[in-house]
Amino acid sequence: MTEAIKVEKLTKYYGRPGSGVLAVDHVDFQVQHGEVFGFLGPNGAGKTTTQRMLTTLLEPTEGTIRIHGHDLSRDAYPVKRQMGLVPEESNVYTELSAWDNLMFTGRLYRVSADQRRLRARELLDTFGLWETRSAKAETFSKGMRRRLSIAMAIIHRPKLLFLDEPTPGLDAQSARAIRDLIRQMNAEGTTVFLTTHQIEEANQLCDRVAIINHGQIAAIDTPERLKAAFRRVQSVEVALEPDGGVHGESLAALAGVTTAVKAGDKWRLYTEDPSALLPRLLHYAEDKGLQVISLNTLGPSLEDVFLEITGQQVGVVRHGGQPESPGRGHKGGGR
Amino acid sequence: MRDRGVQRLRDELAQAWAVVVKDVRVYYLTPPMIMFGLLLPFFLFFSFSIKREVGPEVGLSRLLALTTFFTASSAGPVIIPLERRNGTYDRLLAAPMSLATLLLGKTLVGAFFALIASAVPLLVGIFGLHVSLAGIGWLLAGLVLASLAFSAFGLVFGSFPAQSVGNIMMPSTLIRWPLLFLSGAFIPLEEMAPWARLLAYASPLTYTQDLMNHAVLGSGYLAPWLDLALLPLLVAVCLAVAARLHHRSRVLGY
Repeated sequence: MTEAIKVEKLTKYYGRPGSGVLAVDHVDFQVQHGEVFGFLGPNGAGKTTTQRMLTTLLEPTEGTIRIHGHDLSRDAYPVKRQMGLVPEESNVYTELSAWDNLMFTGRLYRVSADQRRLRARELLDTFGLWETRSAKAETFSKGMRRRLSIAMAIIHRPKLLFLDEPTPGLDAQSARAIRDLIRQMNAEGTTVFLTTHQIEEANQLCDRVAIINHGQIAAIDTPERLKAAFRRVQSVEVALEPDGGVHGESLAALAGVTTAVKAGDKWRLYTEDPSALLPRLLHYAEDKGLQVISLNTLGPSLEDVFLEITGQQVGVVRHGGQPESPGRGHKGGGR
Repeated sequence: MRDRGVQRLRDELAQAWAVVVKDVRVYYLTPPMIMFGLLLPFFLFFSFSIKREVGPEVGLSRLLALTTFFTASSAGPVIIPLERRNGTYDRLLAAPMSLATLLLGKTLVGAFFALIASAVPLLVGIFGLHVSLAGIGWLLAGLVLASLAFSAFGLVFGSFPAQSVGNIMMPSTLIRWPLLFLSGAFIPLEEMAPWARLLAYASPLTYTQDLMNHAVLGSGYLAPWLDLALLPLLVAVCLAVAARLHHRSRVLGY
């Protein structure tokens, strides 16, 4: 047995099948023991619904979920004992102190009194909450509540941890502390199921990712293999001065450029053949009297892959009359 | 295998108790809840008893039934929607305990609150108004079972999948008030028209009021054992309905 999670034909309708809303549509995937598995998708793609089924909060309309070999529909109890859940909203009891929140959760998971106290102290230290352990959680900042929520989810040392969007809205320090903790727990043997739409976070943390869109798995692989499969979204990133002299349309019209995207003080030119584009770009700069400040060729990022697969678009510069690529978001244009 | 079953049972009872203690600290020991639990039954009593020459015995009997009914059934429709909205209910549902354990914990905490609240009029009646009790056994058994029954009754409303307290409070109020007026708390069963008495039998409060009459006044309209037997039945029915509503919520995803 190497699978921590095995999902087959998982389907969920909100409301009655047929007349309800189909949120997850015959999804299959497996998560191996000791993996950090990223579950990516745009809003409304079915990420949280899938996670709620995996954590027994929703009943699948169809399909099976096996966790650590147990069929979740028949034998959820042993699974729940080994599972930790950090939902999107920090669900702490704001009327209780950090310490009491941890004590309550420890009791729910039947952690012995001695272990409960030791573990609570360790977690409060780790999350920088020891000094405020006696204060009611209603006085905590968003980041502190998030950290407490995670501490509550792992007080029983779960073998499988579900995290739903753990870092959005947090300051950089808190987000980093949480990512470090995920890595540390994974190094100690915890399997992590990370639901997120933060692509870079998944890229940094995940051994494999699944991209879900419209309730179906669109791709599933390691981040690097996914990027390799999308070589067509390679790009050349260039910074030109004076920046005001650059026109998105004219860059997008260079031969081989599929789209031109403004990225801060740089332009990102998507192409299938960066080496052929470079001399054309330098020629363009020379013609326009522009100075090349920096020039890089880039492989596809996981975000590119994600946008390509999910068909999201964020503002477009069209390549003179050529139909735009259906995937990636494009931005920029006539300036 | 048997040892594992015993251990599981111990775990579940300890988890139910953890839910009780947490709910008491988070929701029940708050000034609004205490004021509501203690004052509302007194207001009701004076509203319907003043100028009606109600003696202290009848008054105590009514007040005990009303206090138990309102305090035990009030928390469920408030607390569970609040917990759903805050996401803390998911924490309970995802924990390694059965739904029955969670519902048991929620029922127990409402019942404890009702018992404590009903102790106030009882002590006032005994020591302040010098009311002598006709059947202490009926009184204690009745208060305990009625508290459990009405707490489970309130849980049914809380089990509807809503995150807004208002969406649950409105229907729960619309149902609880008619049950109060039908119950015989203000018009004794023996004075009701036969059709009204038939309606009164549909109110669970009827049996508690009748039992309190046996306990305080020494007589009632129905047999006290019948009043008493119906209360655990109400607990079982309400918990079954609450569990069914939870299951429906998981299935339909509301």
